[in-house]
Amino acid sequence: MTIAVSTGPGRPATSDRVRRLPEYLAIWVPLLLSAAHLIAFSLWTIWISFTPSTLIPVTGWVGLRNYSAVAASRNWQIALDNLLLFGSAFVLLSLATGLILAILLDQRIRGENVLRSIFLYPLAVSFVVTGTVWSWLLNPGLGIQKLVHDLGWTSFRFDWLIDRDMAIWTIVIAAIWQSSGFAMALFLAGLRSVDADLIKAAQIDGAGPVRMYRRVILPTLWPITITVIVIQLQFAISTFDLVRALTNGGPGIATQLPALVVYDLMFQRSLLGRGAAAAVLMLLLLLAVLLPYAAWRYVQRRRAIHA
Amino acid sequence: MRDRTFAPSRILIYLIVSLIAAAWLAPLAVVVLNSLRSNEEIAQGSMIGWPQHLAWSNYAAAWSGFCVAETCAGIRPYMLNSALVTIPATIFSTLLGAVAGYAVSLWRFRGDSWIYGIVTLGIFLPQQMRLLPWTIVLRDTGLMNTLTGLVLIHTIQGLSFTTLFCRNYYVAIPQELIRAARIDGAGFFRIFWRIILPLSPPILVVTVIWQFTHIWNEFLYGVTFTTGQQQPVTAALIALSAAVADIPQHGVQSAAVMIAALPTLLIYLIGGKYFVRGLTAGAVK
Amino acid sequence: MPITTTRRRLLAGSAAALALPAFARAQGAVKPRLTAISQWSAGSDGAAITALGKKFEEKGGTWQHSPVPGFTTEMMNKLRAQIIAGDPPACSQLKGPEIAAWSKIAPTVDLDAVVAAAGYEKVVAPDLAKLHKPGGKWIALPLQIYSTNMLFLSKRAMDKAKADKIPVTWADFNDLAEKMKSGGVAYPVANGGTRPDDGQKFEAALAGISPISYRAAIMNLEKKALEGPEIKAAFAQVRKIADWMDPNVGAQHFSTNLKRFVDGDMGMMIMGGWAQGVLRNAGFKFDDFMIAPGPSDNGKPVFLLNADAFIFWQRKEPDLQAGQTLMAQLVMDPAIQTMYSQITGSIPVRTDVDLSGEGWSDGQRRTAAALKDSIASNQAVLSLAHNMAQENGMTAAMIDVITEYVKNKTIKPEQAATRLAEAVEGAR
Repeated sequence: MTIAVSTGPGRPATSDRVRRLPEYLAIWVPLLLSAAHLIAFSLWTIWISFTPSTLIPVTGWVGLRNYSAVAASRNWQIALDNLLLFGSAFVLLSLATGLILAILLDQRIRGENVLRSIFLYPLAVSFVVTGTVWSWLLNPGLGIQKLVHDLGWTSFRFDWLIDRDMAIWTIVIAAIWQSSGFAMALFLAGLRSVDADLIKAAQIDGAGPVRMYRRVILPTLWPITITVIVIQLQFAISTFDLVRALTNGGPGIATQLPALVVYDLMFQRSLLGRGAAAAVLMLLLLLAVLLPYAAWRYVQRRRAIHA
Repeated sequence: MRDRTFAPSRILIYLIVSLIAAAWLAPLAVVVLNSLRSNEEIAQGSMIGWPQHLAWSNYAAAWSGFCVAETCAGIRPYMLNSALVTIPATIFSTLLGAVAGYAVSLWRFRGDSWIYGIVTLGIFLPQQMRLLPWTIVLRDTGLMNTLTGLVLIHTIQGLSFTTLFCRNYYVAIPQELIRAARIDGAGFFRIFWRIILPLSPPILVVTVIWQFTHIWNEFLYGVTFTTGQQQPVTAALIALSAAVADIPQHGVQSAAVMIAALPTLLIYLIGGKYFVRGLTAGAVK
Repeated sequence: MPITTTRRRLLAGSAAALALPAFARAQGAVKPRLTAISQWSAGSDGAAITALGKKFEEKGGTWQHSPVPGFTTEMMNKLRAQIIAGDPPACSQLKGPEIAAWSKIAPTVDLDAVVAAAGYEKVVAPDLAKLHKPGGKWIALPLQIYSTNMLFLSKRAMDKAKADKIPVTWADFNDLAEKMKSGGVAYPVANGGTRPDDGQKFEAALAGISPISYRAAIMNLEKKALEGPEIKAAFAQVRKIADWMDPNVGAQHFSTNLKRFVDGDMGMMIMGGWAQGVLRNAGFKFDDFMIAPGPSDNGKPVFLLNADAFIFWQRKEPDLQAGQTLMAQLVMDPAIQTMYSQITGSIPVRTDVDLSGEGWSDGQRRTAAALKDSIASNQAVLSLAHNMAQENGMTAAMIDVITEYVKNKTIKPEQAATRLAEAVEGAR
């Protein structure tokens, strides 16, 4: 191991290494443990996906049979369709909500602390609770629709939860409620670190508030926007507890999502090999999101170095 | 435009913000109100309603009354279990992540970007996928059904997040600072202790908040890797909500949800300001 | 390779399996102890298992029950983790064909001697007994029985419909539902909307239309039966049931509707006897409702069998072995079965328990009578929705089709029947 900031030339002496043992341990043990478990767990899952494992992991080889079974299953196809819809709707809407909230809070308004806490508190709540509470609110027989009916407007309908085509939107609503605060916090952080000189210069040029945001402030938020998109996309792909508590994949199988299918196959149906195959497909999906991001980060960094 | 005048546009801003805030608070309000309504009262009307008689007994039942099989001690013992796992795991993962982030960002060494890349990928590895491998690890380490086992899991998994955020934060610290300290003869730990840690509170608040809420709210590992007396608070909550063999206990359930969420809500309320500040300083790089 | 080690360890365990005499001897010497895993944590289930634990302790044992709240899946996760760790509980909740499946992954206890000593075999329905002795030896013991197709009738809804006759066939059922509807009952059917609930509607319909077809199609998965007209007829009946339900129920449990059911706002419910335990625990009176066997077109009762059971895992510790023997004796004990069933609303597994006594309800007596009659007429079949007919993977594949059909009114009965047959092929 060489230390980049090492002042002396050449390799450190052996006694030096012994002296430095504690710091090597402090650096490497946690990192190696973490990396090792990730690599080992992923390889293990990939291996299982090629075995005929059912209740518990077993050895054996079934080739791609688990993959073809998953790909052919209706649940998985519905889950992928839903992920496409849910993922894009959720990411876009939470992005928009987070940005709007951040801009509003950035107007030096009174009670910013209180408001910020209000938008952040859903992050403190577990997905299971979020799902349960929203299932109360959105259930037409228990929640908002019932309330409005009891108040006298009996033709009012808000029954997305039991509507096959709209049920996926109830998950979007709950997910936005839960995680827009995070987007807001990131955007607010971005807005607060916009160069004050930039704003002053624009003010001198006589830019109005709308123009100011469009031309000066928002463009500087691009890197944050990308971060928010990636984080929210990974949230969308791994959404599990929330759906389980809110719709449990229903009505029927209308709100299946990949993470739900993985869990269902692995543990409910006791088809471990098939569940592992679904998990590997999910990892590939994640990679499809992450690789472009990593490439973008790489280009950014290169540009920053050369600039 | 960024000043405190009461132009119509500012009234509009306040109006919009209050409306959204009201919508954001609605679920909390519903839970708080239901926690004060009796089960019978909720069954009569809808889940949304004003308490007719304040049913404080819900809180008594939730805190120390309701039964999970033969144990009728309410949510209290489970709160303690969750605390025993969450607090050490939060501290360990935060400290180790801070050291790792510091090493990766300021003590560039061979292989640093590789190992950092792999570790941060861990954020994206679905939890359901890790359940069985962890079972095998706990078996081989003899930590099945111990709270230590859960602390270990959450510490190792948490490192992905804490390392990522700490590294992004420390990257902004000028290398010259470290170089000067090294010339003065300070070593790895001394620099960390004297220079880095005092600069860290904003990002440590972020990681502590994040880790604490995630571990506190975790259910899957919590029920799989413990036995009855060690289960976390989420298990007790599920016992109240997923019971097929009972009519819905919405009142007690809401009270239990409020009690169980109190630690994480408090952490967000107290730390919310620093959360944004910490993100401003680090996470968005 | 960590997994192969486990398997080897398991095999070694089964090779070194202790013979039963040692098992019985151990009991006198040590204080019996039992580690148990179940999902029974709340309501009447929680109360019943707690009462069983008390009895175990009264007999001098140490009761170490670990409830895993939530869905059955989490209970199985816990069990799987314990088995992989080489530390299975002395006994755990498990039922139906899963007993056979799980018994292949870890050694179980041979209970033949204890069962023989109690003379238990002759008082258990043969179909049920078979499930608990997959390799020819008893390894699990059924604890209580439910029929998943009991018909619950709301007294107040019956009054509104000016009806007093309990429907026998599906045609009677449909007539009564129409009468209730025109008599002002908002929703003639009070069921919930969970996956097993949807499955129950279908199995009740099919078994009521033709128990022979049910046995062939659902239990034996015969291709011809799966494509038969009875399946379509059953789906058509399910559509009727679904149309009489409150569409707002979503995926709520049946228990959400119990108050409206008792109030006569909803009329009938096709549900297992556990609903009776829930109703009783919630403080409703037996006069508020009636319980009868579910509709059967040939007039003779059809019994959709659902039995909770304990499987016993091999342990070397003498105190655990003693605990297993004690637990097995308790589970087979008529007094214990009586106590358990009176709390949960089920009926005892033993066919020789007298249900005329005070603690039993009319509904339970009717259920027990229906079991006897249906066994005699070969109309006792295993429930699909409650994982008695098929292993979980197959069950889930079939329920997928059924629940989608219940929730999607544009699917025709013919389409549903085709999909069901395809789902079975796909999951085989």
